[in-house]
Amino acid sequence: MKHPVLSVRKLSVTRRQPDRASTVVDSVSFDLNQSEVLAVVGESGCGKTKTAEAVMGLLPCDTWDVQAESIELDGTNLAALSAAAMRKVRGRKISMIFQEPLTALDPVFTAGNQLCSVLCRHQGMTTKAARTSSMAMLERVGFAEPDHIMRSYPHQLSGGMRQRIMIAMAMACQPRVLIADEPTTALDVTTQAQVLRQLTRLGEEYGTSILLITHDLGVVAQYCDRAVVMRDGRTVEEAPVPKLFSEPQHEYTRQLLNATMGVRSA
Amino acid sequence: MRFALSKIAHGLLLILGVTLISFTLMVWFGPDQTYSLVGKNATPEQIAEIRHELGYDQPFARRYGGYLAQLFTLNLGASNSSGEPVSQILKRTVPVTLALMIPGFVLGNLLGIALGLLSAQHKGRWIDRLVTGLSVTGMSISFLVIIIFLQVLLSTPYGLNLFPVRGWQVDDPGSYLRYVAVPTLSLVFVTLGYNTRFYRAVFVEESGRDHIRTARAFGASTATILWKHVLKNSMVPVLTRIMFSIPLVVISGSLLIESYFGIPGVGKVTFDAITSGDQPVLKAVVGLTAVAFVLIQILTDFIYKLVDPRIA
Amino acid sequence: MDPANRTWQRLRKDKAGFMGLVIVLAFFLIALGVWSGILGQGWSEAGGGRWEAPGKAHWFGTNLLGQDIFQRAVYSVRTAFEIGFVVSVLSTLLGAILGALAGWYSNTWADSTILWIKGVLDSIPFYLFVAAVAFALQGKPWAMHLAMIATFWTTTGRLVRAEVMKIKSREFILSARTIGLPDLLILFRHVLPNTLHILFIQSSIAFVAAIKTEVILSFLGLGVQDGVSWGLMLAESTQEVLAGHFNNFLAASLMLFVLLMGFNLLSDALQEAFDPQQAAL
Repeated sequence: MKHPVLSVRKLSVTRRQPDRASTVVDSVSFDLNQSEVLAVVGESGCGKTKTAEAVMGLLPCDTWDVQAESIELDGTNLAALSAAAMRKVRGRKISMIFQEPLTALDPVFTAGNQLCSVLCRHQGMTTKAARTSSMAMLERVGFAEPDHIMRSYPHQLSGGMRQRIMIAMAMACQPRVLIADEPTTALDVTTQAQVLRQLTRLGEEYGTSILLITHDLGVVAQYCDRAVVMRDGRTVEEAPVPKLFSEPQHEYTRQLLNATMGVRSA
Repeated sequence: MRFALSKIAHGLLLILGVTLISFTLMVWFGPDQTYSLVGKNATPEQIAEIRHELGYDQPFARRYGGYLAQLFTLNLGASNSSGEPVSQILKRTVPVTLALMIPGFVLGNLLGIALGLLSAQHKGRWIDRLVTGLSVTGMSISFLVIIIFLQVLLSTPYGLNLFPVRGWQVDDPGSYLRYVAVPTLSLVFVTLGYNTRFYRAVFVEESGRDHIRTARAFGASTATILWKHVLKNSMVPVLTRIMFSIPLVVISGSLLIESYFGIPGVGKVTFDAITSGDQPVLKAVVGLTAVAFVLIQILTDFIYKLVDPRIA
Repeated sequence: MDPANRTWQRLRKDKAGFMGLVIVLAFFLIALGVWSGILGQGWSEAGGGRWEAPGKAHWFGTNLLGQDIFQRAVYSVRTAFEIGFVVSVLSTLLGAILGALAGWYSNTWADSTILWIKGVLDSIPFYLFVAAVAFALQGKPWAMHLAMIATFWTTTGRLVRAEVMKIKSREFILSARTIGLPDLLILFRHVLPNTLHILFIQSSIAFVAAIKTEVILSFLGLGVQDGVSWGLMLAESTQEVLAGHFNNFLAASLMLFVLLMGFNLLSDALQEAFDPQQAAL
């Protein structure tokens, strides 16, 4: 059995508050294997996003307390890294894309500028080389006119286009892991399929493992290999997708399936 | 094009409003200057003649119209006290005021932005608390107190005696620096507290936005995030504040600084006009500052477009 | 816990803010003392010699005319509170009313007119405006107050207008209108009370601005005409300090500083208490 690419052991996230602390993620553990798409499923508020942000080290330590036995990415324990070392890892070995494409990109810089800055920062490229690479990357995510996109500002582009630019940025350095936090929830149905296909295709091509956070079981069924079910900050069940749907072990998983799939199977 | 026209129309309405108020207050309600011009034993005919000359016998609208015409043709009359043509007074004093106030104004804002960024970067930690504490302290000290204090400290034998106490004998860059130092320092002191507070709040708010999280997720350092992403995104509120603080800081500030340090700029001339009731000078200054302010507002709108691509 | 109680709890915990409140109350008591004739009554007596040093008879020494500096500084507390109260209450009131009307009738001619007036007043440099008002009033003492009220209301007005526009579309207002309650009644009975937090904070800010403005106006000769204020004391001291006499300056500036600091800390704490997320800190 090969080593998992990402291995999270007993991750807890607590919000620091003057009167009372509240635990948002409670001792969560899971593995992400090489070249697989792992779904993290659950209702809103169950701690999926906070788990991902904690793995990425994005939670400011004055408001959040993050504890974990280990968060291993290809052997390196992310939880033990210094801030400077973690910055080198983010966007390069592990990337994340977010739910709201409309606000995720910086409105005052062009898409090209933002894409190039990732390449310059992590690959040490010159501006010229970065520009060429960026255009190639934009083609890879399905843009027919990459030059036009490079020069455009985010507000001139649709939500689906912005999300594809984010994917381009996230995959530009061929990371080991990509965390996609509900990447298509804010998009309309036809764009959803397009974006998810781009995402999984690129993942296969680059050998990137994908952690796909979603509350949509349809997406899980179509694109994911395995799934982890979360509820109230804890993991409830973990299984390969076909097995999860045919033989759900936990009561909560069964409830989830009934709620969404019941309509379809009827 | 339509955008520009509506802005100009808006500006004209503002100028109209300002001149109306200044006219009403100063001329309509102002002192009746008939008797000062005519003397004690004047005949009714002489009085009537003077009144006619001064235009007192005309209706409001007529007189207001005359005032506007004067302003727009820059026929500003002459000072009541010195007889010097107002336009000449302005030509002589405006450059002095600009040379005096601009360094302090610019420095006060640049430092405010830098300190605001510093505070936002270390939000909640001791640097932030120190800067915020100093800002509140700065806001609680009166401008007058600062001016007096700095003058004593820097310009008198009771202090360091490095700079001239008052006056403006500027012949070369060296003497310029000596005369502008204390006023500039006072201006920076007074405005820094307010500026830092405001800019800090803007930067903190901007730092909470989604795209900052994205930048962080791609490994940007805190410095890059602040100085590249936060700053550029904050340009609209920052510029708005700078532009709108110009009348208050530059014009009102110059009034106080110049009258205190005896510097012959627009502020001092205005102050003298206020105390001596020199109407032509006051009318001109109020009218022209209104026009200048409107122009600044129009300019600001155009600058917005340069700085923020979202503004169409 | 209801919102008012929660706000009070937050305020109590804020040490700096609490200190600010204590300072303000202490000064207020002094002002009451002056009003009721207990304190600071000897402010105009020229009892001592010129520029006496601080001693038993005159705690802070005397000024050029032999007047007791300490008494004058204490009396000035009353002057400061008078100006502060009058200006902050009236300007906040004016701002609340005009802002509410502008917000309620937003995008109509009423709104545009009020906005235009606001723009005009914001365009006139303040001290020039005061001078103009003083001119028009031919030196009556109210010029200073009027000018301040006429210009300070704009900030409150702008904030209230924005808030009213937000509240306007809330459900409980919509239901009030459906029932058929007259507009103005809804505006003043139901909408405006929801802007109280803005009004509180703005009035404390206006108080500070009024006192600071008075200082400069008195220096320019446009401020307090009879009585004494810190501004007048500072104006007196400008010549004195050049000759090495600092008592007048120190007394006035210290008391002014402490009161202003107190108010600033208080208004910061109020902002934090009413809405911790929106506050600067």
